[in-house]
Amino acid sequence: MKKIALILTLTALAAGRLSAATAESSKIFTPFFDMTLAENGYMPSEGNIFSGGNINTQVGLLAKITEKDQVFGLYNFNYGGPGFAPQDTKQFTDRTLTHGFNFEYRRSLGGHWRVRPGISLSKDYTRSGANETWDQGLYNTESKGFQLAVDYSFDAARNGFVTAQFLTRNIEFPNYTDLFQEFMNPSVTSELSGGQQDQRLTQVSLRPNWNKFFGGVTYTMQKYKNQKVVGATGDTAEKQEDTTTTLDFGFHHKLWIFELYPVIAYSVHDSNQNYIRYKSIGDVSPYFMADNYSYKELSFSVPLDLNITSKWAVGGAMSVVKRNYESRLRRDKFNNYVAGEKQENTMTTLTGSIRKRINDVAMVRLSYSLVVASSNNEFEQYMPYNYTGNSFGIAYQLSY
Amino acid sequence: MKKIALLTLCLGLAAGPARAEIDWESKGMQIAGEILANPAAFLYEFQQDLEGTTPLPPGKRYGFQTGLWGGALPTIGIMPSISGKFRLHGEGRLSPGLPQLDLIGGYWNSPLAGMAADQSDDITDTKFNGHYYGFLLSSSVSPKVRTFWGFKKSQLKAKISFAPTADIELLGTPVNDIDTGFEDSFFVVGLESPKGLNKLWSIQLNYGMDTQTIASKVSWYGKYFELGLNIYPEGVFVVHPVWNFHLNF
Repeated sequence: MKKIALILTLTALAAGRLSAATAESSKIFTPFFDMTLAENGYMPSEGNIFSGGNINTQVGLLAKITEKDQVFGLYNFNYGGPGFAPQDTKQFTDRTLTHGFNFEYRRSLGGHWRVRPGISLSKDYTRSGANETWDQGLYNTESKGFQLAVDYSFDAARNGFVTAQFLTRNIEFPNYTDLFQEFMNPSVTSELSGGQQDQRLTQVSLRPNWNKFFGGVTYTMQKYKNQKVVGATGDTAEKQEDTTTTLDFGFHHKLWIFELYPVIAYSVHDSNQNYIRYKSIGDVSPYFMADNYSYKELSFSVPLDLNITSKWAVGGAMSVVKRNYESRLRRDKFNNYVAGEKQENTMTTLTGSIRKRINDVAMVRLSYSLVVASSNNEFEQYMPYNYTGNSFGIAYQLSY
Repeated sequence: MKKIALLTLCLGLAAGPARAEIDWESKGMQIAGEILANPAAFLYEFQQDLEGTTPLPPGKRYGFQTGLWGGALPTIGIMPSISGKFRLHGEGRLSPGLPQLDLIGGYWNSPLAGMAADQSDDITDTKFNGHYYGFLLSSSVSPKVRTFWGFKKSQLKAKISFAPTADIELLGTPVNDIDTGFEDSFFVVGLESPKGLNKLWSIQLNYGMDTQTIASKVSWYGKYFELGLNIYPEGVFVVHPVWNFHLNF
């Protein structure tokens, strides 16, 4: 599931970036460059200290062929290192590496309309420790697909436009193999139990922007090619199918020395996949948990910067991610499901920061965050659900 | 400044409830394990500290650089190096908009290797050196911003050969030599911006295409010195402070 969340995020980010780049009217070629570099130290209440970084680099070139025709290419490098993350998403030590390529053709139609067909290729690496090999990550993926976006501009003076987009990706997990199936069925070769995560992702979205207000609705469907839905007595004939509907809204406005850029999102994730819990290898009466993965999630982030001078700012932010499972029951510390009590996770992050603008294109930020993760799930043998954590970090951002 | 002090105090107070006991012994073992798992990659981080991967300043035709300090090491003594840059084409010279093209390269060789062989009867031969070469293309996108991108090929070699009489064993197995190395082709991309007269600031990403080695460099440099903060997010020591000396003509 952690991989799927990442794919959804990266897909949305890439789509957003593509529409963000605009040509300067006097130039045939307009470069696009954005690099964010962050390094943090983490001190959780459970486990030892660790460090982790995030690097996001985007290099693009927009070529104006005629007044109405443009071509845009974008390379995106993303590294996500160890760090705190909402429960049930990833472990502290997990890290990811992504190379994404997007090519887009843009055609203006009249004064208001624009169409943007494009293709996308990406390769993702994952690993859970520095001593593992990137190439052999269980959740490595290769993705390819295309998208078609249509923009309608309704208020050029205040950057008002609506974007409707359809995209599809064919996502393969070349290294994924179902270790449990292999263990339970030693006669089955690893090849037969591979490819279980391969899927086709389809996404449609409608996103209006106006006067630095933005929002939208996004519907994502993941159809698994081989993964069967597990039933109480084993695999069923039905294949796994997940959908996610997300509503989000935000803005970025300045008032005097205050700079506020909050975002709120509400997601409904629905999966037909179930889960069988074995308490031990020899468990002869495993527990069947139907509809294990469906949930509703509310997340919001409220960052506020106080621009003390033109160069210096102090900032504060509060972000909350709250997930309520539809059917999954919470577990006690002995891995027993508690009847009638559904699992709920909450992660709250409070951040304070000092930001210095180095020049027109660059800034540096020193920050401290306090993370409070809480859940009614008390079974934490494999992943912490209830902890507090401190993190200190430095981040550079350079954008042209 | 009062606000910053107040904020720092508030953050310090908030940090209290989440403070955990740090297991330094466990952390030390983890670091030692990461070094032993891939010693060459660990050593290569210090080579990257002394590699010159920013373009020549506009108007300069060639330059030299040597590493003074990298990570926790005085590289001028432990890994003395010489790096060079040579401009093949100035930006816009042949054709408007055609980027500046620089050739880059360098070599280092550690005197510690020879000293170890000379002073120990158990060690017969040692090698601890490295080199890199490549090119950088740089293009101004505004009066205050220059982007650069390029390629470099890097190699590091570390070898110790033991005398037959040394009777060296590792986990019960006789060891004649330890021969390790690192080699990769890197994609380099970055952005440079002036901070003042003859002062520049840059941020760059170096990505090793075979080993997926990642390095980010943030640098401030002037007429003679470069101060940097190299970040190896998957490295053993993640942050390396860097100090290099250079002359450009």
